[in-house]
Amino acid sequence: MNLRQLILRRSLNAFITILLIMVVNFILFRMMPADPAVLLTQRGPHTPDDIVEQNRKYFGLDKPLYEQFALYMVNTLIGRWGYSYDERSHLVLNLVMEKLSWTLLLVGTTTIITIFVGIAIGVWAAYKRGKPFDVASTGIGIFFYSIPTFFFGIILGLVFARWYPIFPAGGVLDIRLAPVWPLTFEKIIDILDHMFLPSITLTIGYLAGISLVMRGSLTDVLTEDYITTARAKGLTDRQMLRRHARPNAMLPMVSLVALNFAFVVGGAYQTEYVFSYDGIGLLTVKAVFSSDFPVLQAIFFIGGVAVVLANLIADFIIYYLDPRIKVS
Amino acid sequence: MGRDSSRKTHASPGAREGAWAVRREQLRFLKQRLVTTARMFLKNRMGVAGLIILVFFLQLAVFAPLWAPYNPDPILRPTGDPDEDRLGGRLAPPNATFLFGTDNQRRDVLSRVIFGSRISLAVGFAASAVSMGLGTLIGLVAGFWGGWRDELIMRITDVFLSLPFLVFAIIVAAILGQINLWQIVIVIGITFWAGTARLVRSQVLSLKERQFVERSKALGSGDLHLVARHIFPNVVPIIFAEAILTIALAILTESTLSFLGLGPQDQLTWGRLLEDAFNFQALESDNPWFMFMPGLCLVTVIVGFTFTGYALDDVLNPKLRKR
Repeated sequence: MNLRQLILRRSLNAFITILLIMVVNFILFRMMPADPAVLLTQRGPHTPDDIVEQNRKYFGLDKPLYEQFALYMVNTLIGRWGYSYDERSHLVLNLVMEKLSWTLLLVGTTTIITIFVGIAIGVWAAYKRGKPFDVASTGIGIFFYSIPTFFFGIILGLVFARWYPIFPAGGVLDIRLAPVWPLTFEKIIDILDHMFLPSITLTIGYLAGISLVMRGSLTDVLTEDYITTARAKGLTDRQMLRRHARPNAMLPMVSLVALNFAFVVGGAYQTEYVFSYDGIGLLTVKAVFSSDFPVLQAIFFIGGVAVVLANLIADFIIYYLDPRIKVS
Repeated sequence: MGRDSSRKTHASPGAREGAWAVRREQLRFLKQRLVTTARMFLKNRMGVAGLIILVFFLQLAVFAPLWAPYNPDPILRPTGDPDEDRLGGRLAPPNATFLFGTDNQRRDVLSRVIFGSRISLAVGFAASAVSMGLGTLIGLVAGFWGGWRDELIMRITDVFLSLPFLVFAIIVAAILGQINLWQIVIVIGITFWAGTARLVRSQVLSLKERQFVERSKALGSGDLHLVARHIFPNVVPIIFAEAILTIALAILTESTLSFLGLGPQDQLTWGRLLEDAFNFQALESDNPWFMFMPGLCLVTVIVGFTFTGYALDDVLNPKLRKR
């Protein structure tokens, strides 16, 4: 199989997966016990009795299931995701996009910090295998990895927002500075201030995932013959690590980082919930509590597609970086 | 059993005895392997630490009624004596009678944490078992029989690996109605099986090409025999370590769902305790231990499973064990 066939095949698979996600999304929400026509109807003292039936007709819920399915597929693809049950004036698409931008800001920053710090720790631990630094960083890493994110967030919030009120306890922007646009320097500082504790919480949660994989991958690479060659030709350890070992050990990182990122697009919900950070995770939890199905359906779709696309992109990067795949 | 390859290699008048000899030899080999594995595991300090934690919490869960000083459920009623009441009052700080104080409903926190370990651990084990069973079975089918089954299964695992887990669990919970203990086990189980299926499949694919499988096939072994006697036993070490790690993941997931108020409402789990404490802002009350204790236990148990899992993986699947 040459590279072009490989890429075509991977893309086709990703496409099928997205279609299947849409099918699952349709089926699951049809299996809900609640009747959407009833949920969509607000009742007042003067509403006509047949309002539920009118709504059923209006939203196409009286059509046969296959027609509804076709309608759903088309609407999902062109972004007609309907209205939120909770905030009826809000289009789901706008709502989700607005929250998504906050989450991306938080997750993007966190991912960059995590990658740099995590790789540094992993490289050093692999280089010093079995030494105190390795044992300590692995042990401490697993410890922090094991703390439930919400619990760690609560403790951080307690210490740095209540006991020593250095940072704000929650939200994305001080209410006095709203709205966000037009952006001023003061607002940027305030947004960063609000982001600090949530991003520390997320970083601690993901750091060990990155550093442990980096350590494992580099340990593998360090046993390869070309490392012995590099040593034999007189390179210092530092040169050997930077030029020969680290680039090769980075390959597994590509998929890991992509996957981490994509999953968090689906919602850093624990962190956002604890710090009431106004992103897509908080929206998810709120939508769950109020059974806001159109919003949940949209998040389900976006979250799934994000993972599929991230995997696809990661694979393409690996095909590009790793010449062995082109040969085989 | 008629197609047993070991018997065919000893096709002499003493065939039956030969088969027994082979079986005995296999058992001896298995025992030896277990002993070496145990020895190597005991040399791994991380693994031993994890195992000690696990043994402690497992016996705590099993013998909860012996350890817990009080009944976790009934509300400790005021007695009328002001000293007694302060002792066992609402949100009492830790004291000699109630080692970790009391919660917002005058219940003993220590006893609640001890009893909470039972269901948290049980859910972890059960959910891991469901996910491993499903994943192994599906992975074996995909890897061994391949073809269109493999394609189909891979597409399905793709979907399961891509879905945002929380939303999925919530929707399933909503479809099921009020979630109970079994349902949360199933929800967690069907969320994590896909990863295991992938792992097993890739292992089976490489095993299939190995010589001992070819040899057995040449001797006339059927598919089921091959899978049961040659493929599956070689998959076990990999899924064993994975199972331990999945227990940690399942416990974490259950507590997260419970914390968000999506767990079984009538069950006492650590996640439930944390949710109660969070809702009553326990950390700012007189007795922050109400929140710290379940959290600390949760972290310790998950560390225990993770340490044990990593150490087992190191011992059972040795590919990195060289300088």
